[in-house]
Amino acid sequence: MQRIVARRLTQIIPLVLGVIVLNFTLIQMAPGSLFDVMTAEQQVTNPEMLEKLRHLYGVDQPTYIQLFKYIWSVVTLDFGFSYRQNAPVLDVIMQQLPATVILMLAAIAIALLVGVTAGVLASVKVNTIWDNLISLGAVFFFAAPSFWLGIMMTVLFAVKLGWLPVGGMRSIGVEQNVLEATVDVMKHMLLPATALGLFYAATYARVMRASMLEIFRLDFVRTARAKGLSRTRVVIAHVLRNALLPVVTLLGLQLGTVLGGSVVIEAVFSWPGIGSLLFDSVMSRNYPMVLGVLVLGSVIVAVANASVDLIYMRLDPRIRAR
Amino acid sequence: MGILSRRDFLAATAGAMAASTLHLGGASAATPKRGGTLVATWGGFEPQALFVPPGGGSSPYFTSTKVIERLLKLTVDLKFEPVLATEVTPAEDFRSYRIKLRENVTWHDGEPFTSDDVVFNALEYWKPISGGVSLNALSGAEALDKHTVVLKFNAPVPEFFLKSVLAGKSGLVIPKHIYAGKNILTNPINNAPIGTGPFRVKEWVRGSHVEYLRNEKYWDPALPYVDRLVIRWWRDPASRSAAFEAGQLDLATFNPIPAPDIPRLTGSKKFVAETKGYSNSAWVTTVEFNNRRDIVKKREVRHALMHAIDRQFIAETVFFGRAAPSTGAIHASNALFFSKDVPDYPFDARKAAKMLDAAGYPVKGGSRFSVSVVSAGWFEENVKIGQYVKQALEDVDVTVNLTIPDRATSLKRIYTDYDYDIAISNNSGSIELVPSTTQYYTTDGIVKGAAFRNATGFSDAKVDDIVAQVAVETDPKKRVQLVHAFNKLVSTEAPMLPMVDLEPVTIARADVRNHSTTADFMGESWSDVWLDR
Repeated sequence: MQRIVARRLTQIIPLVLGVIVLNFTLIQMAPGSLFDVMTAEQQVTNPEMLEKLRHLYGVDQPTYIQLFKYIWSVVTLDFGFSYRQNAPVLDVIMQQLPATVILMLAAIAIALLVGVTAGVLASVKVNTIWDNLISLGAVFFFAAPSFWLGIMMTVLFAVKLGWLPVGGMRSIGVEQNVLEATVDVMKHMLLPATALGLFYAATYARVMRASMLEIFRLDFVRTARAKGLSRTRVVIAHVLRNALLPVVTLLGLQLGTVLGGSVVIEAVFSWPGIGSLLFDSVMSRNYPMVLGVLVLGSVIVAVANASVDLIYMRLDPRIRAR
Repeated sequence: MGILSRRDFLAATAGAMAASTLHLGGASAATPKRGGTLVATWGGFEPQALFVPPGGGSSPYFTSTKVIERLLKLTVDLKFEPVLATEVTPAEDFRSYRIKLRENVTWHDGEPFTSDDVVFNALEYWKPISGGVSLNALSGAEALDKHTVVLKFNAPVPEFFLKSVLAGKSGLVIPKHIYAGKNILTNPINNAPIGTGPFRVKEWVRGSHVEYLRNEKYWDPALPYVDRLVIRWWRDPASRSAAFEAGQLDLATFNPIPAPDIPRLTGSKKFVAETKGYSNSAWVTTVEFNNRRDIVKKREVRHALMHAIDRQFIAETVFFGRAAPSTGAIHASNALFFSKDVPDYPFDARKAAKMLDAAGYPVKGGSRFSVSVVSAGWFEENVKIGQYVKQALEDVDVTVNLTIPDRATSLKRIYTDYDYDIAISNNSGSIELVPSTTQYYTTDGIVKGAAFRNATGFSDAKVDDIVAQVAVETDPKKRVQLVHAFNKLVSTEAPMLPMVDLEPVTIARADVRNHSTTADFMGESWSDVWLDR
C-alpha cells in the first residue's frame, strides 16, 4: 500500500514539470505580454520608464532563461513575485486557494450524496414514476449550464425568498465565534456548491443507476437473496459497494473539471477563490501567477487522484491484490 | 426612470453653474446622519493591488482613493474645492504656484502631514511616476514652512491645468515617511495603503472585498458619515442586480448592472440611477485610422468611412441608449471645452459610397478595397461594435477582415505593432484636455508600446502648434478658443475620433445620500456620503 502511494506521489514530479513547460510555452506564444498590459494600465509613456519596467518584470531576458529560472525557483519552493499583484505569487494563491478547495469538496460531497442516492433509488424503483422523475431530473441538471442554474437559484433563494446570501463566503463586519462562522460559511456555500455539484450529481445518478442494474443481475446477488438476506441488506451490503466502482472512477476523472467549473461558479457567486485570479492572470499574461495556480491545482488533482486510487482499493480488494 | 440624458446633464450642469446651490441626484438638503455600513461595488473587477502608484486603471483608483487624498477636488459644476490644500495661488507669470496646506492633518499611522510630504510627492512620485508628461514643465518644489509649498515650472502653467493635475488621478498624496528611499512601485504597503483619507483599510480579502473603517482622526471631525465602507466584487453584472434586490448592495458605479435591469430596479422607487459624476473621467468608444496604411491615410477615405457608420444605431442598440453619438473630439459632458462647431459625419451610406468613388476606390469585383479592423476585446460592447462596423463597411462594398482579440493582444496589435487599418478602442478623458485628449493627435503622442496615445501615426504641425499653445495659455478665455480651434482641426482631419460618448450610470439605493457630487465620483473619498436609515 505504502509503495503504491509513494509511486503515485512520485508521478506528480514529471506532471508538474510538464504543466510548467507546456503552460509557460503557451503563454509565451500568445500575443501580448504582462508588460504590455501593465504599462497600458499604468499609462507609462516615458521610454526610460518603459525600459526600467521591462527590466523589473524580467521580460528583457530570453524566454528560455525565464523558463529555467522559473523551474529552478519552483524546485526551491519559490513561486516567484507577481508585479501585478505586488506580492509573492504563493502568498496571493494561498489567500484564495482554500476557498476554491472548500467549494470543490462541498460540490463533490453534494454530487456524490445526491447522485448516488438518486441512482440507487432509480435502480431499486426501476421503470416506475420515481425512475422516470430521477432520469428527467438528471437530464435537466446535466443540460443546464451551472452559471445559469446559479443565477436562477440566487433569484429564488436569495432575492425572492431571502433565505440565503447572494454571494461571498462570509458575512462582512460581523463578530462571530467559531460555530457561528462555520454556519455562516456553510450558508454562503450552499448555493454555489449546489449549483456546481448538481451537474456532477446528474452524471453520477445515471452511472449509478446503470451500474446498480448491472450488478443486480450478477450471480452473487442472486445467491445472497437465495440465502434469505433482506432486499435492503442485499442492496446496501452487496450491490451498492460493487456499483460504486464506476462512480469512483468518474470522480477521479472529474476532479480537474470540478476545479475548472468552480471558476465559473465563483464569478456568479463572488466566491473568493482562485477563479477570478486565474482569469485575470491569463488575460494579463501574468505567467508567474498562471503557472503558480496551475502547478498547485495539478498537485491537488494528482493528490486527489491518488486518494481515489486508495478508495478504489478499499472498495475492491482485488485491485490491491494485483 | 429618474435618469438624466447627456443633453439634460449638460443643461443641468449649466443651470447649476449659474445657481449657487446644487440639488444632485443623490444630494440632499436634509441633515446628514452618522453611522451605518455602506456596501459598494463597481462595474468591473477586483484591483490587482489596492493602490497602484502609476495608475493601474479604474479598480485600484476606486479602492485607493478612499484612503489616499489629493490636494483638491473638482465638483460636478467644475469648481475646485480644498482637500489637503486650502489655497493654490499662481504667481503673476504662472511659472510658480504657492500651495497653502491644511494644518492638523495626520497620516493613518499618526505621523503629521507636512509640506515635506508634498515636496516628496511632487518630485519623487507625481513627476516621474504618476503624472507622466503632464508635469514635464515642473522644475522644482520647495517647502517654505511646514504648511506652505511652492511648485516651480520652466514654462507658464494654466491654473485650470495645474489644479486639474492636483485634483486628478495622478495627484494622490502618499506619505514620505513610508515611501522615501524605497521603490514606490513595489512597496508592500501598496496593498494596505496609508493615507490621510476618511477611511483606513481594515482588511482585504482577495477575491471578495475590502473593508474600510472610519478614520476617527480625520481632519474634518464631522466626516466621514458612515462608520464602515465595504467594497465588494461581483464579476457578473446579473449577480450585482440580484445583490441590489436582496438588499446586500447599496451603491455601485460605472454601469454595474445589465442595462435592461435599470428600468426594473428604478421603477420600484427603491433605487436611483444617476449619470452625474463621470465628466472628469469621460469614456468614449473611438475609431482610429492607421495613417501608416495607404488607403485609410487618405482623409477623404476616413470621412467616407465615418459616414458609413451609424453611430446612433451603436448608441441605441449596443449601449441600450446609454451612449450618444460623439460630436468632435471632446466628450459632450465636458462643459468647459465641448463645442458643436466642428465637422460632423452623420450616417449616410450613399454619400459614403459616392465619396469612396470620388476618392478613387470604385467597386471592382464586388469590393472597393480590403481593410483589417481590430476591435479591442476588453469591453463586451466592442465585440458587438466590431461586428456592426464590419457589416456597415461591407454595405458600402469595403471588404473587412475583423478580429476581436483579448486585452493583451489588442494592446499589442494597436499600440505596439500598429497592426491594423482601423481600430475600435476606448479611452477616458479628463475635463482638462492636455494631455489626456490631445496626446491622441500630437506628434509627441506617438510612443511605440505606450498605450492609449497616438497609435494612428497622425502628425500635423498645425495641431502640434495649437496644443503647445493650449499647454501654456494662462488666459482661460483664450485657452477655450484655442481648444475649439484644435477640436475643429482634428475633427476635420479625423485620424481618430470618438464614435460614441458613453454615459456611465451609478445605481444606488434611494436611501444613500449625497453621492455623485464630484466630477469623478468613483475616485473621490466618499467622506460625505451618508445613509438615510
